[in-house]
Amino acid sequence: MRDRGLILALLIPGLLAMLATFILPMAWLLRASFSTSTMMQVGFTLEHYRAALADPFYWKVALNTLTLGLTVSAFAVILGYPIALFLARTTSRWRGVLTALAVAPLLTSAVVRTYGWMVILGDRGVINGTLQSLSIIDTPLRLSNNSFGATVALVEILMPYAILAMLAGFGRLSTQLEEAAAMLGANPLRVFWRIVLPLSLPGVLTGALLVFVLAISSFVTPRLMGGGRVFVLGTEVFSEATVTLNWSLAAALSVMLLVLFSSVIVIYQRALRRLEA
Amino acid sequence: MTERHVSVENLVKTYPGAAKPSVDDVSFSLPRGEMLALLGPSGCGKTTILRMIAGLVEPSSGAIRLNGREVSGIPVHKRNMGMVFQAYALFPHMTVAENIAFGLEMRGIAKADRAAKVARALDLVKLTGLGDRRTTQLSGGQQQRCAIARSLVIEPELLLLDEPLSNLDAKLRDEMRDEIREIQGRTGVTAIFVTHDQDEALSMADRLAVMSAGRLEQIGTPRQIFDRPETEFVASFIGAGNFLNGRVTGAGEAAVDGFGTLRFVGDAAVGQDVRLMVRPHRLVMGGAANSFTGTVEHIVYRGQILTMTVRSGQTRLQADLHTHAGALPEKGQTVTLGVAPEDVTFIGRAA
Repeated sequence: MRDRGLILALLIPGLLAMLATFILPMAWLLRASFSTSTMMQVGFTLEHYRAALADPFYWKVALNTLTLGLTVSAFAVILGYPIALFLARTTSRWRGVLTALAVAPLLTSAVVRTYGWMVILGDRGVINGTLQSLSIIDTPLRLSNNSFGATVALVEILMPYAILAMLAGFGRLSTQLEEAAAMLGANPLRVFWRIVLPLSLPGVLTGALLVFVLAISSFVTPRLMGGGRVFVLGTEVFSEATVTLNWSLAAALSVMLLVLFSSVIVIYQRALRRLEA
Repeated sequence: MTERHVSVENLVKTYPGAAKPSVDDVSFSLPRGEMLALLGPSGCGKTTILRMIAGLVEPSSGAIRLNGREVSGIPVHKRNMGMVFQAYALFPHMTVAENIAFGLEMRGIAKADRAAKVARALDLVKLTGLGDRRTTQLSGGQQQRCAIARSLVIEPELLLLDEPLSNLDAKLRDEMRDEIREIQGRTGVTAIFVTHDQDEALSMADRLAVMSAGRLEQIGTPRQIFDRPETEFVASFIGAGNFLNGRVTGAGEAAVDGFGTLRFVGDAAVGQDVRLMVRPHRLVMGGAANSFTGTVEHIVYRGQILTMTVRSGQTRLQADLHTHAGALPEKGQTVTLGVAPEDVTFIGRAA
């Protein structure tokens, strides 16, 4: 009994912090989404949800967001997988350094890295500049200010998370299992398909989920790389809140984004449980 | 030993950056159906030899032959050898039956045949009815059985076992020891297993290869290794021993402190300084052909046996005697111990 009291006492600071920084703002957000005023929390109406759901534009935005999230997480996982697998299996004494290098991009802000991509992919950027000076193309390729640019930048920015998550999820992988499979007659390709891939799937799913959640909630990169032409829930919430000053609609959109998150997480957990059963 | 099923010739493995080779010029061979134990302390290179035979480690030099054919160019997955790993290495995402069927599947064996073979393998290791279990639901002993079934179902040319009993508790270990021996005998598969446990090696293997610091010290039957060790390492690693220095005075006779003349088995030239060894449990009370009279310095009653140290001059002998209900020697008492000449082993020249 005393233990339970102690545990509770130890939990209180954390719970208070959660309450102040997460629960209360979420409650405020929820309240705002039902408000009859656009800036204050008064009355009760479902108008903002109705407006959002009735407007085909927001359906398009939701679809864009989902597509962006799926594309980015697929590429981040596919490109990050070999790196994570290498880091998980290497016995090199540089392993720690290599792992740090793989996640080092996280040390710079996403804004800085997005500007980096603008320099590379812009109409007068590195790629277009080089191709034009070599007279391979006349007009610049449309590499930025569209969803292609946003996707490329997000994949690069979020890949370290995918690598970290996959590394952590590769727990059941062991070289001994690969050796056992080889001893039983499996060639390297079959060792990969039958042993390595199935056992690394939980890590892949975790990485994909993490990147997906970060991608659909991203705002800076789609905004800057999209040049105002890529509409996702993150950018729409921002413009409703700061440009249109319709806080209630922004809140309603946020809640919808949250619902999207939650359903993906539920689906993911179902899949993971089946995988590990 | 006319037929050499498996042979290892002048095998050397030096890991990059290592000052000394892990395996240093090791040669031995096995006839078909034999079970060989690679025995030695940890780090002696025994596991490296096993892994080189399996193809998991590339030898620096030397040859490994199977049926006279050099295997070094053959990749692991085509060597057709079965391996039981120390931690079993069962595939956690497959059932017991799927684990066992894996090797058959890789060989492109039809599903129906696979099922029949898996059923027979489960039967062989007494896991009948557990095929649908997850490997994580098995006990340690059952996992071991599953690993053995998985490596035998492919009808390997050679079965390799890496410390097969080290992950089991003592009771299960005795049981599995007999069982592995029995399965090996029934299938007739040639087998090599690695162990650091002398009891395991003596009781399971047809022959033992004792290793130390990368070198093969001696290879022979359990009795040869135990009763006629050829090096001091082998004599001291397997069982306990009293080591004595002496000078040869005649055929099979040496002058040894405390014994006067000690008669032994072995060829040594007259006048040569030799090293001799007597097992503590081969000493008996009362003089025999060789007798040693001294004072009991230390004594421990251990129920079944009585361990005592008897000293005469600078020579101390440890004797393990069977106890009986009658009077037993006591500390400080003067006793005479005897040992038969065939129980005195000539190990070699004294250093």
